[in-house]
Amino acid sequence: MRKFTSSFIIPCSIFFCLFLSACGRRELDTLRFKDEQVLYGQTSRFKGFDPVKVSDVASSAMICRVYEGLLEYAYLDRPYHVQLMLAEAMPDVSEDGLTYTFRIRKGIFYQDDPCFPGGKGRELTAEDFVYSIKRIADPKNASSGYWAFNGRVIGLDEFRASSSGAVLTDYSAPVDGLRALDRYALQIRLKEPYPQLLWILAMHYTFAVPREAVEFYGDGFINHPVGTGPYILETWNNNYRIEFVRNPKWAETGRIELYPSTGTQEAREAGLLNDAGKQIPFIDRIVQYVVDDPTTTWMMFLSGQFSYSTISRDNWSAVITPGRDLVSEMKEQGVELLSSPTLYLSYIGFNLDDPVVGKNKKLRQALSCAFDPELLVQYYNGRVTPVYGPLPDPLAGFKSKPTAYSFNLGKAKQLLAEAGYPNGIDPATGRRLELTLELGDAAPDTRQSVELMVGMIDKIGIVLKASYNNWPAFLDKLDRRQAQIFKLGWVADYPDSENFLQLFYGPNASPGPNHSNYANPEINKLYEQLRTMLPGPEKDGLCEQMVNIVIEDCPWVFLYQPMDFAVTHNWFKNFSLHDFPYTMTKYRRVDNAAWNEWKAKHGRAN
Amino acid sequence: MSEKGKSLWSDAWRRLKKNRLAMVCLGLVAFYTLAALYGEAVYQVYKAKDQTAFYQKTDLSQAYQPPSSKHWMGTDALGRDVMQRLIQGTRIAYKVGIVTALIAIPIGVFFGCLAGYFGGRVDDFVVWLYSTVASMPGLLFILAIAMVVGKGLLGIYLGIGLTTWVGLCRLIRGEVIKHKEQAYVMAAKALGLSWPRILFRHILPNVFHVIIVTFTLRFPAAVSTEVFMSFLGIGVVSEPSWGVMINSARMRLWQGVWWEMTFVTLAIFGLVLAFNLLGDALRDALDPRLRTEGS
Repeated sequence: MRKFTSSFIIPCSIFFCLFLSACGRRELDTLRFKDEQVLYGQTSRFKGFDPVKVSDVASSAMICRVYEGLLEYAYLDRPYHVQLMLAEAMPDVSEDGLTYTFRIRKGIFYQDDPCFPGGKGRELTAEDFVYSIKRIADPKNASSGYWAFNGRVIGLDEFRASSSGAVLTDYSAPVDGLRALDRYALQIRLKEPYPQLLWILAMHYTFAVPREAVEFYGDGFINHPVGTGPYILETWNNNYRIEFVRNPKWAETGRIELYPSTGTQEAREAGLLNDAGKQIPFIDRIVQYVVDDPTTTWMMFLSGQFSYSTISRDNWSAVITPGRDLVSEMKEQGVELLSSPTLYLSYIGFNLDDPVVGKNKKLRQALSCAFDPELLVQYYNGRVTPVYGPLPDPLAGFKSKPTAYSFNLGKAKQLLAEAGYPNGIDPATGRRLELTLELGDAAPDTRQSVELMVGMIDKIGIVLKASYNNWPAFLDKLDRRQAQIFKLGWVADYPDSENFLQLFYGPNASPGPNHSNYANPEINKLYEQLRTMLPGPEKDGLCEQMVNIVIEDCPWVFLYQPMDFAVTHNWFKNFSLHDFPYTMTKYRRVDNAAWNEWKAKHGRAN
Repeated sequence: MSEKGKSLWSDAWRRLKKNRLAMVCLGLVAFYTLAALYGEAVYQVYKAKDQTAFYQKTDLSQAYQPPSSKHWMGTDALGRDVMQRLIQGTRIAYKVGIVTALIAIPIGVFFGCLAGYFGGRVDDFVVWLYSTVASMPGLLFILAIAMVVGKGLLGIYLGIGLTTWVGLCRLIRGEVIKHKEQAYVMAAKALGLSWPRILFRHILPNVFHVIIVTFTLRFPAAVSTEVFMSFLGIGVVSEPSWGVMINSARMRLWQGVWWEMTFVTLAIFGLVLAFNLLGDALRDALDPRLRTEGS
């Protein structure tokens, strides 16, 4: 027995002690950084740091901490406009609008990295932008950002064609429309006017990457960001935790950036201009955890582990009063509520190649009349607003009032009968018409909202069957034009109606972004006119015309435009909702004294 | 002649009746079965009438109602009655348990009988086959099949059915090896009966109790697997499966919306417990070594 005790029980006891100690509450790593300003937050899974290869929101946010471009969105000004980032001044634009010449700021250095000679980061030059834009065009990178340059820059399409196949891409090959005039001057020559170019240059696809790093790391470049931005990557445990620290190169080279001094009156009243003119970035370290589950994110926010959080539908009623205010318990903890409409539009698309819904406009109109946006508003606790056209507020062409094909059950039934399906009965089978709605995920929230929509369509006697796919399979079905009806959304790439109206342009049909495969010569003609126009009443008039035609043809059922809601703890400063927030982390600030006070009063972990 | 009227089955039933716990479980199983039959009847009626069933109709004004006289188990996020959906979940659970058993049992019995009876190369092949299947992680195998077939009940049937026959195959093989040396088999062979007749008419009825016990134990396991797969979003999606209900219910659990999660969990707990205890009791009741005990 003694032998048994020594050989079995003691090791087991040690094991269980170790095991149980792992089960206890883990000490927050906030203690490790108590002398620094640290931002803790949640992130979704993201793919990596190569600006040309990734397009998801989470990856974009990561990239914009490390890399920088010529321009960026102004943080607190509305309506949105771009401001200088690495460009020294706004570009000289030729009279015909075809040539843009940028001067690049001097004294901007890449972070130190082994890819550079001696490991010391070199100065950024105009050639870096030439190289970076060529990378977007290189088919070997399969860049999701090429749409922004496709058919736009002189010689770039030819460069793309010559780079396809097995041959090694020759990045020294000249592109007529993309040249470094000298060390600090970049010239872009266009085939036709492209007023959206400035928005495009504020997107992460065009951000400057050093050729040395791409060649040094090869396929691993996506995991080794080397940029000029305010932060550098410290550690990254894939799908678990990522940590950035302040880029020491800024201090070493004397680079100074300042907090914005202009903003809206609301921003001023909210204290968002209190730090105007101060040197940024404020935060020394950013720590983010990959948390997919909204309830877990919420719990981590409540326990003070995260500085900010969005509010999921299921947490809404516990946090927000019917009067759209925070509940008193939250207010007592110093939690602040922020809200802002988003440039996003959710819709149900019809595949116009489909023999049932594609060839029967009355059927599409009937279905459009059967969707009750108010039910969706109720389901989402008022966090979405109904839309009655293909453009979200406040873009030109936005429809603020119901149209001829907005919710109207009586009209839906009448149109359905005219479409050849009286009471929803398919004469071919004698049973209710069955339509299939394709979806890109099967998350509980998606499933429930779809079940709600199935109920709406049931009221006119049509059976809407949901087909749940994973995201790649869903996109594949759209690209192959196999989806009959699908639910999708569009997030604005830039704040211009043209960005939404391109979704109805015939040549953009699948596998392009026009997944409805809608083709209307009149729309095509109007879009071709509109896309090269500068903002103004004439362009707004064209938008209005296009929107009216689209509403009549019903390639989409317009569902809603979401509001963005977020809550922040009182120690987290300078946080304002923005539709293009990617480069904004450098403006955030953490008040450590307020944090310590909160932890002492409300915290449990410390 | 003293054994007349005391067949294996009547003797087993007599002994099972003495086991109170087993009888409670049998009652519980009967209750679940009735609920499943009722659910299936409702489902078929609405299908025949080409109408949307009442348990699928949404009414946001009734969302998250706690248990009351109108809704005994409360309502869900879309205002649907949890009890009606729970009954439909029982229907799906039974379908999964029965259909997967109908796939797995014939495969297991067929290969087990052949391997046990013929031995040699046939046995080598069957042992190799089930060893290969058993060496693959079960859940991954099920998920892979379900992914290939697509979301829905068919994927679940095939996924579970094609991966869970190994245990039964091993048991049947062992039993057949035992039985083929018995005098009644020798006599049948001496009479010149064909091997299928010997195997399936004479040996199989004598090992049938193994199949019954295996079924009662496989059934709740299949239901649990279905719930798990549907919870992950790769099983049933548009029907009120228990897994789907749990996945939806967890979202508001922390706010005190406990009823959907509680009742579904209790339903699964009751079904799994009842079948497992009944399976154990059946195994004892059908064990020939215990046959004379207490008789």
